Amino acid sequence: MFELFQVSRKFGVFPALEDITFNIMAGERVAVVGPSGAGKSTLIRLLNGTLFSTTGEVRVLGQRLDQLSPQALRQVQSRVGTVYQQFHLVDNLRVVHNLNAGHLNRWSLTKSLVSLIRPMDVQGAFNALEQVGIPEKLYERTDRLSGGQQQRVAIARVLIQDPEAILADEPISNLDPELSKEVIDILVDLSVCSGKTLFCSLHAIEFALSNFGRIIGLRRGRILFDSAAENVTDEMIKSVYRG
Amino acid sequence: MQKTLGSIAVDTTQEVPQRPAFINRRMMWLVIFIGGVIWALWESGIFQNKMVNTGGLALGGRFLSASLNPDLSGEFLLLTLNATLTTLAFAVIGLFLSVIVGFFGGVVVSETWIKSYTIARGDQELPILVRGLWLGLRWILVVFRSIHEVIWALVFVAIVGLDPLSAILALAIPFSAIIAKVFSEIIDEANHEPLYALLNSGISPSKAFLYGLFPLTFTDMLSYSFYRFECAIRAAAVLGIVGVGGLGYQIFLSLQTLKFPQIWTLLFALFLLNGLADLWSSLLRRRLGGDIRCGGSCVDVEAVHASQTSADPIYQDRVVRLSIIFAALLVPLSFWYLSPDIGKLFSARTIQNMVVVGQSAFPPNFTVFSLNEWIDLSKITIAMSLLAVAFAGISGLIFSFPAANNFLLSGGIFAAGSQNGTSQFLGTTVLVLTRGILLVLRSIPAPIWALLLLFVIFPGVIPGALALGIYTLGVLGRLVAEVIENLDERPLTALKSQGASRAGVFTYGALPPTYPRFISYLMYRWEEIIRATVIVGLVGAGGLGRSLTELLSSFDYQAVFAVLIVFIGITFIVDMISSSTRKTLRQS
Ligand SMILES: Nc1ncnc2c1ncn2[C@@H]1O[C@H](COP(=O)(O)OP(=O)(O)O)[C@@H](O)[C@H]1O
Ligand SMILES: [Mg+2]
Repeated sequence: MFELFQVSRKFGVFPALEDITFNIMAGERVAVVGPSGAGKSTLIRLLNGTLFSTTGEVRVLGQRLDQLSPQALRQVQSRVGTVYQQFHLVDNLRVVHNLNAGHLNRWSLTKSLVSLIRPMDVQGAFNALEQVGIPEKLYERTDRLSGGQQQRVAIARVLIQDPEAILADEPISNLDPELSKEVIDILVDLSVCSGKTLFCSLHAIEFALSNFGRIIGLRRGRILFDSAAENVTDEMIKSVYRG
Repeated sequence: MQKTLGSIAVDTTQEVPQRPAFINRRMMWLVIFIGGVIWALWESGIFQNKMVNTGGLALGGRFLSASLNPDLSGEFLLLTLNATLTTLAFAVIGLFLSVIVGFFGGVVVSETWIKSYTIARGDQELPILVRGLWLGLRWILVVFRSIHEVIWALVFVAIVGLDPLSAILALAIPFSAIIAKVFSEIIDEANHEPLYALLNSGISPSKAFLYGLFPLTFTDMLSYSFYRFECAIRAAAVLGIVGVGGLGYQIFLSLQTLKFPQIWTLLFALFLLNGLADLWSSLLRRRLGGDIRCGGSCVDVEAVHASQTSADPIYQDRVVRLSIIFAALLVPLSFWYLSPDIGKLFSARTIQNMVVVGQSAFPPNFTVFSLNEWIDLSKITIAMSLLAVAFAGISGLIFSFPAANNFLLSGGIFAAGSQNGTSQFLGTTVLVLTRGILLVLRSIPAPIWALLLLFVIFPGVIPGALALGIYTLGVLGRLVAEVIENLDERPLTALKSQGASRAGVFTYGALPPTYPRFISYLMYRWEEIIRATVIVGLVGAGGLGRSLTELLSSFDYQAVFAVLIVFIGITFIVDMISSSTRKTLRQS
């Protein structure tokens, strides 16, 4: 699914990621943990093709993203869904339109436009919302929802996009602990039920250990460890977060 | 039935919610607007009469070809330089006075000020007299605002003569009223906690404002004042047409004698002056923009906050500091250059003229026109403004996106995915070209546009509406381009990262957050356009404006006064419609 080989990414002279190498198989559930500034968001952006590596190879679904034509890149991107820390929804649209944005790589322009005036595939949007537990919010304006509800809308949009892999960039950092648990449960369940690959970055380690089979520890742009959850020791955790 | 994910329990027998009604308040406004535009088209006579004056095409062609050889003789260049400096000086002094008056006016007419006084008096109701005075002041500001600079100029020319003083006062009065209104809104929308905390500890309202409120509103006020500078330059150019000098005046003179090469020299000076003013003002406003604007480079909120807290206070920013110093130098220089005769303002002659004009205008004479004539004149004025709004709105939507620097350039909303040189070059070309066009459109004053259009279009509502629409497009396109440049980048990234097409990113990510701002700017411009119908009326475009010119030239001041009153009435109605549209937009 994702193959990285000696990948580095620099911003100016500052190395945000250095010498990253790992493979993620289809259907795997992997958490990447690290303090803020470790390079988690940068890593996710390399995987969904909104940023390219400075050196090294990034392959997604077998293709090198930096060598694709714009069309082909969009093709690959449509098979990878992303959930963000700040939800990244259009505030002043109704929920149904934010959900239908998940259809955009299949819909024609005319259909997309008409749907903004008279929503299409309402049933699909409703089903997706139902799965994340807020079906009654279908026609609500998105900025009227709470943070937890907005994150669910973002996940429901990925459901509609129906990708083969889901990337989640600190999806719970803006939520309280209880909501955090629910959102992680939804993501993990989704991956379990449909066999989708899940790659999730997390600031704190607790949810990672209990929900993911494999943990990657990231610090200052380098991988400190990459191991099965049951083999992660207190030592390893400390090494990631030490001052 | 779908399975619910995660551990949450929901009632999975729920029905799909009812689709919201298609006809909502927003739809209603849209229907009314479209109906209004169709009515206005009918009213303009576009369906009945011939519009294009083919006889004038040759003249129009000669005008355009003259752009290639402007008059560059030393003598005329000197004249142009003088006219440019005059226009600049009008704008600087007029704005300087307006900011001072507008600041105090804005404080006094703000809800916050009156509330602070109530608190300071121990929550006692204010005396009726004070309340009445306060309301009266607000109304006076509305009246001052709704009369165009050019009308004020005509009045002052009648009183103090063709002195720079007339131009300065004509600019300063409506500008003070507008600035007072906006400043009072800034004050009323600020966070009031610190202010009330001070008031409740027994500090007087003035001091409480000084410590608890002004620090919060200073940036916004400064930023708005610099935005007003652009407007002041444009207004100062228009003032020329009543004969008080400056670029507008010279263009008007050269137009009357059809000296096309001279007109182009003057126009190029006008483009340059406006371009520099706009550049300065937008550079500053970018520096002053206090709120979180997530640009393309910021990855997450922490990054933005970090850059904000580490930033110096705005007045320590080099650009801001230099600008303030530069502005402070411009004011005395402008005074020195124009040397307006302030003593004249208080001379016996002026006071005598004032009395004469006042006496000859009272009481307003509404009988110059029959009721039907009044209605017809008002209808034409409103139709002209609606057509201008429709033209500026539709073309503004098309022009503002390519004029935004985050649209076609690499990484932009509508950029081709590949980052090769050609597409970047093409993007840059389109950007520069559209920005240039918009600059030209707004640099040329609306009455001059009207005169130019009259080469090829028969006089009437249409050339008036087109002139106002073209000018408004120039202003609106730039404002909306700025809105687009400040769009939240995050939803756009999310759409791009899921592989949505360019059209998809545009329709779902860029259009929805832009259009409410677009409509509300358009509505503000409508208020502006209604005011400006008077000045295209001056060049014969019909409606109340044209009657006003005719009455002014026959010195029938009582009738002029009556026209002004009707005109202010129309302005009120438009203001009300505009503000309730904006309210609907904010709510739904
Ligand atoms: N677009 C950018 N320009 C410059 N520096 C960046 C950019 N994006 C990220 N960085 C820097 O790269 C480092 C890693 O950032 P990020 O991937 O956001 O970390 P995390 O998501 O783990 O908090 C940080 O030091 C950040 O400042
Ligand atoms: Mg991050």
